[in-house]
Amino acid sequence: MKLWQKIYLFSILPFIIIFTLASVLIIERNHSKLLQQEIDTTLRENMSIRSTMEAIVPFLKIYRSPDYEQTVWTTIGNEFVAKNSDHTMYLNIIEEPNRVAYSNIDFAIPQKWEELQSPAKDEILSILSDVGERTILFTSSLVDLNDRKYSIRYMKDVTAVYEERVEQYQFFMKVDIIACLLYLILMIFISKGLTRPIERMVRTAKVIAQGDISKRVDVNTKDEIGNLAENFNRMVQVVEDKINELELNNLEKQRFIHDFTHELKTPLTSIIGYANFLRVTKYQEDVFVDGLNVIHDEAKRLESLSLKMMDLILIREDHFELSMENLKAVLDEAEPVLTMKAKERQIQIAIDANDCWMEMDKDLMKMLIYNLVDNAIKASAEQDTITIKVYGEEQRCVLVVADQGIGIAPEHLDKIFEPFYVSDKARSRRYNGVGLGLSICQSVARMHHGTFEVASEENVGTTIKVIFETGKRNEVKQ
Amino acid sequence: MNKKILIVEDDINISKIIKMNLNIVNYDTTEVYNGRDAYELLQRERFDLILLDVMIPGIDGFELMKKIEPLRIPVIFLTAKNSVIDKVHGLKLGAEDYIVKPFESLELLARIETVLRRFGREETIMAFKDVQVLLDKREVKLHGKPVELTVKEFELLVVLLKNKNIALSREQLLDKVWGISYFGETRTVDMHIKSLRKKLNLYDHIKTVYKIGYRMED
Repeated sequence: MKLWQKIYLFSILPFIIIFTLASVLIIERNHSKLLQQEIDTTLRENMSIRSTMEAIVPFLKIYRSPDYEQTVWTTIGNEFVAKNSDHTMYLNIIEEPNRVAYSNIDFAIPQKWEELQSPAKDEILSILSDVGERTILFTSSLVDLNDRKYSIRYMKDVTAVYEERVEQYQFFMKVDIIACLLYLILMIFISKGLTRPIERMVRTAKVIAQGDISKRVDVNTKDEIGNLAENFNRMVQVVEDKINELELNNLEKQRFIHDFTHELKTPLTSIIGYANFLRVTKYQEDVFVDGLNVIHDEAKRLESLSLKMMDLILIREDHFELSMENLKAVLDEAEPVLTMKAKERQIQIAIDANDCWMEMDKDLMKMLIYNLVDNAIKASAEQDTITIKVYGEEQRCVLVVADQGIGIAPEHLDKIFEPFYVSDKARSRRYNGVGLGLSICQSVARMHHGTFEVASEENVGTTIKVIFETGKRNEVKQ
Repeated sequence: MNKKILIVEDDINISKIIKMNLNIVNYDTTEVYNGRDAYELLQRERFDLILLDVMIPGIDGFELMKKIEPLRIPVIFLTAKNSVIDKVHGLKLGAEDYIVKPFESLELLARIETVLRRFGREETIMAFKDVQVLLDKREVKLHGKPVELTVKEFELLVVLLKNKNIALSREQLLDKVWGISYFGETRTVDMHIKSLRKKLNLYDHIKTVYKIGYRMED
């Protein structure tokens, strides 16, 4: 069963039950009240006859004539009947044991009334009973007059009260049906309206389940459903972002593998080609030396590639620990190696460092410095100077490596961080470059909340600035 | 006259090894290292075949292909890309063949030969020292006089001549002459070599190469 149908049904059933019960209760109460009123009136009238009869007793004592008595009783009875002629009533006065003093009864008295015929003194009994199609209220009292006992029976036709009840029930039935119909129609709209946002969510969820992750639920209510829809949308958004991220990651990885394969195959082609050539052709000294040189160089290139790959893998494995270090001290530690490397090509290294503390992995930071300086050395000519600066700004540590080398052409600038990208193939080969240096640097920098700023002009030099946000150091890394 | 082959390959070492391999079997070669130079050279000079690297600076291989299409020169692609899509792309553009790095020189030579033959640019007469081979008539002459060779001897001679100065292993020879499905012994090759040397007086030219096989030498 659908939710709206459940809401519908579960609200309709109690409504009908409660409405009906309440109506029945009201009708019955009304009825019993009316009946009670009738009974009270009847009893009162019975009493009033009795008091009238009691009031006349002294006259009866004076005359002491049965005929006169009879005339008095008849007069009282007729007067009384005439006074109450607005409704059907019967009066029956009996002188005990069974002489009828007055009677206007036009029906046979039912048997069970007999028990009411001799009430105790000063007591009024009453009973309700159906006579034919009518309902009669019967009251009876006993009065002691002039040493004689009189039984006053006053009866009233209360059929109207019962008819009133039936009429009320009929009226109620009509009201009930109309109210229920109205309620039924209203509830369809209400329950459907309440569940519409849910249905919309279900439809959207189905579409999403079929793969269209960009879909969103359009529910603007402020209640729990709106809340659910909002959270649902947020969840889908997170999933979508994750999927996109994974896709991007995957694409990047695929490209990396693709490029890596290319980088592997090129030296391998040379090595295999030359080795085979030397193997199957007649020995010629110059070709032999040339060939072996190529094989050696290309194998060296492969070695360098594998070393850089190891670095990259190391970084990506996330086995690093951050500790508070002085960037200046790290640079000082790295300096001897850098100077030695630069000296091989007669390049000067000038260091201008100030203290700057930040959280870092020392080994990785050194790797970053080596790679940046290595690039600078490769770009520089003999007698050039490479300047390395370290200084602190508010909440930042800045590392600058500047060379006076060949520079980077503007069209290459945005690609230099791509793995395996080299702007000058021939030059890069000469130094066994594989195009991974800056990728490594970027990975390291990212771990330390660092960003790059590259300024370069061809044949003037390149300045690479790495800016580390130390203010972020307390956040979760990566 | 020797066939002229243009090598367009940006990796100098690879370009050189291709050149050496082609020269040794008597192809003339010219090397260029980028697409632009290749395009310019092709406007001036006529080549029988182009070996083209896909990933070259300047104009890339696929683009160059489109530009030189009107010249109707057969092209063989050289590349490290070996995905099917690239292959289809290359062949759609009209490349005759596709060879993936790293490749073996023998494979390269075989493919060059196949393409040249398809384009009718292969010689019908091969001459070596005093021996003349008429490929279309399947005739062999020594000093102008016909020599009777068996079918396999003839094919073996052609393979050796086509891969002149390159050592071929007995297995390679078996494969090329008798076919892959032949389960003969390598001794079969030795017998035929012996017979060739004798019939054509090639004792000094069909050399036995230690640990490899045989080589036809000038």
